[in-house]
Amino acid sequence: MNLFLQVDPKSFWNAPHGSTELTVKLFAAFIIGIGIAVGLTFIPAQLRKWVVRFVTFGAGLFYVLFWIFPRPISRAPTDAPRGAIEGMSFWIADSQPVIMTLTNVIAGFMIGLGIYSLLRVHFSKIAKQQRDWAFSAVLVISMLLMVTLGYADFLQRQDPANFGLADQKNWGLVNYGKDLLFDGLLQNMDAGMFSIVAFYIMSAAYRAFRARSIEATILLVTALIVMLSLMGVVEFMWSGAIDSISKDNGLIQSFKLSAISGWLKGTIQTPAIRGIDFGVGIGLLAMGLRLWLSLEKTGGEA
Amino acid sequence: MAMDQQAAPLTLAEKLQSLPKPMIYGILLVVATIPLFFSVKLPNKCIDPSIDFYAQAMKLPDGSKVIICSDWTNSTRGESKGEMEALLRILMRKNIKFVLLSIGDPQAPQVAKDTIREVTSAEELHGGKHYKEFEDYVNLGYFPSGEGTIVSINNNVRSVAQGKKDFPEGSGPKDALQSPVFEGIKSVSDFKMFFLVTASSTNRTVLERLTNCPMMYMVSGVMVPENTSYYASGQLKGLCGGVKGVYDLENLMEVGINNPGPGQITSDKYKGESIPGWPGKTNTGKGTAYYLALHFTLALLIIAVIVGNLGMYLSKRRAN
Amino acid sequence: MDYSLLKQFVAVTATVGLYSVLYKENKFYRFWEHVFLGLASGWALVILWTDVLKSGWYEKMLGASAADGNTAVMGYWPYMFLLPIGLMAYTVFNKKHNWLSRIPIGIILGLYSGQQFSAWMTYYGPLLNDSMKPIVPNTAEFFHPATVVPGTVYVSDALTNLIALLTVISVLTYFLFSFDVKSKVLHATSTTGRWLLMIGFGAIFGSTVMMRFTLLIDRMYFIWIEFVKQGLLHMK
Repeated sequence: MNLFLQVDPKSFWNAPHGSTELTVKLFAAFIIGIGIAVGLTFIPAQLRKWVVRFVTFGAGLFYVLFWIFPRPISRAPTDAPRGAIEGMSFWIADSQPVIMTLTNVIAGFMIGLGIYSLLRVHFSKIAKQQRDWAFSAVLVISMLLMVTLGYADFLQRQDPANFGLADQKNWGLVNYGKDLLFDGLLQNMDAGMFSIVAFYIMSAAYRAFRARSIEATILLVTALIVMLSLMGVVEFMWSGAIDSISKDNGLIQSFKLSAISGWLKGTIQTPAIRGIDFGVGIGLLAMGLRLWLSLEKTGGEA
Repeated sequence: MAMDQQAAPLTLAEKLQSLPKPMIYGILLVVATIPLFFSVKLPNKCIDPSIDFYAQAMKLPDGSKVIICSDWTNSTRGESKGEMEALLRILMRKNIKFVLLSIGDPQAPQVAKDTIREVTSAEELHGGKHYKEFEDYVNLGYFPSGEGTIVSINNNVRSVAQGKKDFPEGSGPKDALQSPVFEGIKSVSDFKMFFLVTASSTNRTVLERLTNCPMMYMVSGVMVPENTSYYASGQLKGLCGGVKGVYDLENLMEVGINNPGPGQITSDKYKGESIPGWPGKTNTGKGTAYYLALHFTLALLIIAVIVGNLGMYLSKRRAN
Repeated sequence: MDYSLLKQFVAVTATVGLYSVLYKENKFYRFWEHVFLGLASGWALVILWTDVLKSGWYEKMLGASAADGNTAVMGYWPYMFLLPIGLMAYTVFNKKHNWLSRIPIGIILGLYSGQQFSAWMTYYGPLLNDSMKPIVPNTAEFFHPATVVPGTVYVSDALTNLIALLTVISVLTYFLFSFDVKSKVLHATSTTGRWLLMIGFGAIFGSTVMMRFTLLIDRMYFIWIEFVKQGLLHMK
């Protein structure tokens, strides 16, 4: 029996929608799940890290097996495995989508945790009326408004009777409210917030971008060449000047701005970035292994 | 008394190095704004990654199916929206159906849907097809675990859409797998291309995990150097980077590749081939609108750096 | 005032509010900053339910009925186990039981690290392959002629490939031997790597500037063209 094989023939792992069987099994699973969680709280401190290590290793093992095990090719839905190896291969292939769901759901809970943490900080500020608590109130009110109107809009659109909402003419207060908050405010503030950096880059470049050393000079000259190559007009004029000297001489043609920046990108910039990347890659592989085996502190120490 | 002491007048070198911040900000604001009021067609040399992007997109069979992973929000509207618009125009004109999903940001699916709506309305005005949600494209929404989701797309693309609902025009929500976009789709290799429009690290997430479908990326300017490496190694079939990439695409959509005529764009790589454009249609967008202003702002930065360095040089010479 | 103009007006006000930080940190800016954070986290919460938990978990767990009342999709009750696992993450604020939060984190990290081996091969294989290009020419011609013969490695190509290879090696050396090395060869390679790295960073700086300026230009386009020119003045 494959818990992960999500096809609809009735099995122990599923039950018809709305049936008593499903309700009972859901309830039992909830009680067992909570029971295990509560049971874990009684585990002696020295065993805790082994629980975390076991879970981490088990989760990682799935994708290691997914990688090293042969995968079924041209498999029909009715095909049955021939032997244990093929059975394992089918099991892994069938399980992967469920593992994806599992990852997305747990990641979803993690996002929820981030928001809970944010709310915790700001509610505490409001409750204690700490300095600038009014801004915390603004944050909480904005969040509540967005949640209320965003979800109400979603619910309205779920209703088959409201298919006309695709057209703005049929909008009500909820739809206008959600649009004003999301499209009018959030999206434009998102754009505004990120565009501010341009001012700081400009100011920092003017104040600090100096040819004080060999390294700084190389960086400055390359940045200038790349920026000039991004300007079509400069590129056009530069190329015109080169062409006026000679159109056939390969050496002279190599001094076109596009040729210089292309050569720099292809010969130095890309390999330099790859050099960094390869260095990072070695570390990444080592980190992956350390996380999987819970040797990394953030991965498994309890 | 100190108050009576006259501050020594600033030397030229000091003046050059101490322009007040509000002045720099003000000049930048003005320089970024005024060119926007002028519509000028600037000369341009399309770069190879953009040419490949356009050529590969144009070579997709009419009516085929692709995946668009849209991971941008309005934080990079200046670049990503122009990229998305250009991509959608190409796909819509070739009647290519697409699956839309996001692994980068919860805001991304809604932003992408708004852009699709805008582009299809604009295309309809000029006789283009009305692209209908569910019929011509299906939205799978947001997946917080990009890593697991891309592995699933590579392994069993239908499983990613399982349980997802989409909103067909004129009726209530339906199962995404019932969409005509998924008709005949058994694996990800049935999709002709995987397009990623991103301004975040999802570029690497996809590159590391997707092996069964060719890929092309549309990335923000800051990501161009990193992604050029993937393009050079052949992992990407084409690359559109930043507003320069958008401007390239808009020019390519106007005249195509290796087609004689004004503004001709030639490519040795596609020698002997003629890839058409759509002259007369609305091909210009954010790339054309912003390119002149980009010239002026870049020029301003170059001048600012030169002025600062000149000041430093004069100071050093004086000190010696 | 029609709705779209009102929406634009609100957006411009918020943008100006955020830009006011350029003058100095002020209350108007902080107000909009908190509105932004509130709206962004609120939207994340909406999508968390509508796009992730509802379709990916809740509906799979409960199944669905067809219009005729018969079961269309079976409910998979084992998904219920994800609720206590997910909730364990929230014990992070509890001093006594916060170790439980490491279980869901361990699952995510385990799944991620398990993928790293195949991801590494897929990612680095083609990059390594592309870094090894011929460095010996097979013709005496230095530059590319007007018509390039396929498969020919011109002297300029070989030199370019050699420089590219040396760049990769020296930058990698700089990274791997960032501590004080005694070998003169390693030291020289590492120094060269640092200089070549500056070329890479210079290019990244140029591209970053392009992006940041474009975002500013886009905001100015929104304020002056979309709102003032087209919205208020109704000009094309």
